[in-house]
Amino acid sequence: MARYAMVTDLTKCVGCQACTAACNAEWEVPAGWARTRVLSTGPVGRFPSLRAAFYVTQCNQCDEPPCVAPCPSGATFQGPDGIVRIDRELCIGCGFCVEACPYQARYLNPATQKVDKCDFCSANLAQGKAPVCVSTCPAHAKHFGDLEDPAGALYGLVYGQGARRMESEQVRVGPNVYYLGRKGEPELAAALFPPRPPRMPSAGRFWGRTLKPLALAMVGAAFLGQAVAFFRQLWKGEAQFDE
Amino acid sequence: MSRGLTRRNWLGAAALAGAAPPVPSVSTPGRRAGRTARQVATNCELCFWRCGILAKIQDGKVTRIEGNPQHPLTQGRLCARGNAGHLLLYDPDRLKRPQMRVGARGEGRFREVSWKEALDWFAARLAQLKEKYGPETVAFFPHGVGSSFFATLLRAFGTPNSAEPSFAQCRGPREVGYALTFGHGLGSPEPLDLENARAVVLIGSHLGENVFTSQIAQFAAGLARGARLIVVDPRFSTAAAKADWWLPIRPGTDIALLLAWMHVLLEEGLEAKQYLARHAAGLDELRRHVQSFTPEWAEKETELPAGLIRETARALGAAKPAVVVHPGRHVTWYGDDTQRARAMAILTALLGAWGSRGGILLPTPLPRGHFDLPAFPESRRGRADGAGSLYPLASEEQGLTNGMIEATLSGKPYPIKAWIVWGQNVLESIPQRRRTLEAISRLELMAVVDVLPVEHTLYADLLLPEATYLERYDAPHIVETASRPFIALRQPAVAPLYEARPGWWIAREMARRLGLQAWFPWQTPEEHLARVIQPMGISLAELKARGAAAFEGRPYIEQRTAADGPLFPTPSGKIELFSTMLKQLGQDPLPLYRPPEDPPPGWLRLIYGRAPVHSFARTQNNALLAGLMEENAAWISQEAAGLYGLRDGDRVLIENADGDRTGPVLLRTTPGIRRDCLYLVHGFGQRAPGLRRAGGRGASDTALMSRVRVDPLSGATGMRVNFVRPVRPTEG
Repeated sequence: MARYAMVTDLTKCVGCQACTAACNAEWEVPAGWARTRVLSTGPVGRFPSLRAAFYVTQCNQCDEPPCVAPCPSGATFQGPDGIVRIDRELCIGCGFCVEACPYQARYLNPATQKVDKCDFCSANLAQGKAPVCVSTCPAHAKHFGDLEDPAGALYGLVYGQGARRMESEQVRVGPNVYYLGRKGEPELAAALFPPRPPRMPSAGRFWGRTLKPLALAMVGAAFLGQAVAFFRQLWKGEAQFDE
Repeated sequence: MSRGLTRRNWLGAAALAGAAPPVPSVSTPGRRAGRTARQVATNCELCFWRCGILAKIQDGKVTRIEGNPQHPLTQGRLCARGNAGHLLLYDPDRLKRPQMRVGARGEGRFREVSWKEALDWFAARLAQLKEKYGPETVAFFPHGVGSSFFATLLRAFGTPNSAEPSFAQCRGPREVGYALTFGHGLGSPEPLDLENARAVVLIGSHLGENVFTSQIAQFAAGLARGARLIVVDPRFSTAAAKADWWLPIRPGTDIALLLAWMHVLLEEGLEAKQYLARHAAGLDELRRHVQSFTPEWAEKETELPAGLIRETARALGAAKPAVVVHPGRHVTWYGDDTQRARAMAILTALLGAWGSRGGILLPTPLPRGHFDLPAFPESRRGRADGAGSLYPLASEEQGLTNGMIEATLSGKPYPIKAWIVWGQNVLESIPQRRRTLEAISRLELMAVVDVLPVEHTLYADLLLPEATYLERYDAPHIVETASRPFIALRQPAVAPLYEARPGWWIAREMARRLGLQAWFPWQTPEEHLARVIQPMGISLAELKARGAAAFEGRPYIEQRTAADGPLFPTPSGKIELFSTMLKQLGQDPLPLYRPPEDPPPGWLRLIYGRAPVHSFARTQNNALLAGLMEENAAWISQEAAGLYGLRDGDRVLIENADGDRTGPVLLRTTPGIRRDCLYLVHGFGQRAPGLRRAGGRGASDTALMSRVRVDPLSGATGMRVNFVRPVRPTEG
């Protein structure tokens, strides 16, 4: 099974927001919202000794996604390819996952009242197309691929060129978006925009730790009870059915 | 249990249980996944780089625009604007039907009319004015591609007067300066071998904020390969952040820096000696000329340390000939712009970069077919704008917008009584807006063709809705200034909405009414296209399917053949370091530095530029792009803000020395700008009530340009000569 990941080269990125525009157009993201954003550190330092970098943010499809546990409806889940997806049919728009994400990669879509985020353009991957942020990027700053394919370009960028993850002491969740930069751009971006330790409202925490396992147990028990009842019905025979 | 649970409702119960964590099959439904009915290969027009696009069409609507991977230059890449193009097509504020003015000019009251009534009236009016004042009384203000057939119509009508801001408010001085030196200008797209450069110099060019997809691709590739980058800019631009050396120069002193760089190169023997011996004329004169322009001398003018000037000159010498001194694009700054372009061209020559790998690419001519049209009538009165006469080196093809406004105001050399403004934003792209409005008020006919109700449409007598680039054929895009020259197609993705019409149709309809059909011997735009591509060895069907076709290029000197013509078509046939033509004209044959006027105490120099998500003043009403940037901000240094008692985040008006005001706009304080400058992104602060998203948002740099310094060589308007200050909205 593949392990999809992305590498963004911040030396090449010019902050033009083509990625955001393509993504917004592709997924009909409402104006003012985004699945991928380009943040700017702005000039840092004292004139004329200044530095600046762009930081392209999106869902990191983390190895240990902190957004999955707080989801009360099970809408957020991680696929075997590592991509974290949202089942829109199940999302109830509670926003617990939005708070939980250390990378602020999720938003509650005001048009649909469902949470939305980057999923590496999953629907397009099936057709063999790269995510639109990658294919449109004028600077060719974004790379997408399978981290488990040693022959693939991504493998070399991550393990050969030392692309880094945006993690911190507090946040170690195994993000799968990596960053490259010749002039310390990822470090500057990390210093200004560190990942936020997962925030979970008390209701969400209660849900995630206590109620959800309990609910699951209850549902499981109900299922078991129904199964038992069903087989008892079968055992008694068709004639006993109402219809 | 005996009654309740049946097989059917057991299944229902299981489905309910499924509301707890299930094993979902597929998620994130793809809205369009696999449902695109068809796609059309054409090219973009959110700006004039014209990247190749694929318009995806579903149920008769363009639902998405993607890059066309088969386009030879842009290779499938698209910027933010290109990705948002369909929102121009479906902008609810579009001009929908022909209209004629019923109120006073500027009031914006119109009545809707049919195309027949509109064009009958238009043609009759033009004929009357021709009768009364001669055909030259009609001045054309085009911008873009859709107007090219109408330009033919007006030449046939008998007026040579056409002017677009791409010359006098943009690239004009650059084209003149490079043509004086190398025999021809650069054209667009600029043929820069950024990908193979070992050093890149940007003088005011803010690549990254100014985005042309392929130029950005090549720039980023060059940087990734380790090209050294020198950025000369009073502002810490996106490019400056990527630079090895940022030179925050005192505005208006670029020529001093360029002369000092030449001084170091020649003093230290770092020039491309063999290249110059073979190709250049005037090296001895240049050597004498720059002898006294030491880095120490330049330090006093530019406020850049002499050591830094020397260090960067040596870096250029070490990288030669693979050096791109970016010639710039919008270069109408201080009125000495042609001489600055000359200095940049001479530096390019000293490094041996013109026609060399990693430098400036040479154009490869492409054959093209054409119809045998009757000769255009010769105007005995010549042009009204001074191009070719008062300004002998100005382009007579592109003209001088400012000269045309001057002629309209003065009635000299003869009266200009009619303007036809086609896609050109005369109030946001030409400085001295009060003069422009005064000129408009004196017209007997103001006809406007546009897609959106931009401000000057309020002053139109006749207002015609043009089809957008996604709804029309245009003359093809033929590019000789790329490493592989190419032809690319503009063809409609969908039929025009409302009653919008394409430029070719409007031109043909007017030709019929004015008896000028002889200049339009084709019936359909496809027929015109087929003729143009005839000698290229490709079929129209193939071109329509792929959107573009490329040919072999010969961009480097060693590849040139006799068919390409002379290498340097200058009077001497050599690179003219010393310009014989300028000498004949009584101008400086070698560039001289003249100190700029500094802002008086309490004032800042207005500088301006682009944001990557907007083009000119054309895209601010686009829903997607406005979502990315709906307003501009005024950048000043923290130090300057302190002097005004203002803070970051204050809302201010910007005022110029002549009392013009614009805004309110957000004040952004930053260490990334010199303390004597104020920076605005261009295109905002439009006073157009019909643009419901863009109208009144932010501040207009153009509104603050009450002063210009006209370049005596190109006739272009130097616009960075205005002094401004932020004021609280309640003041004054």
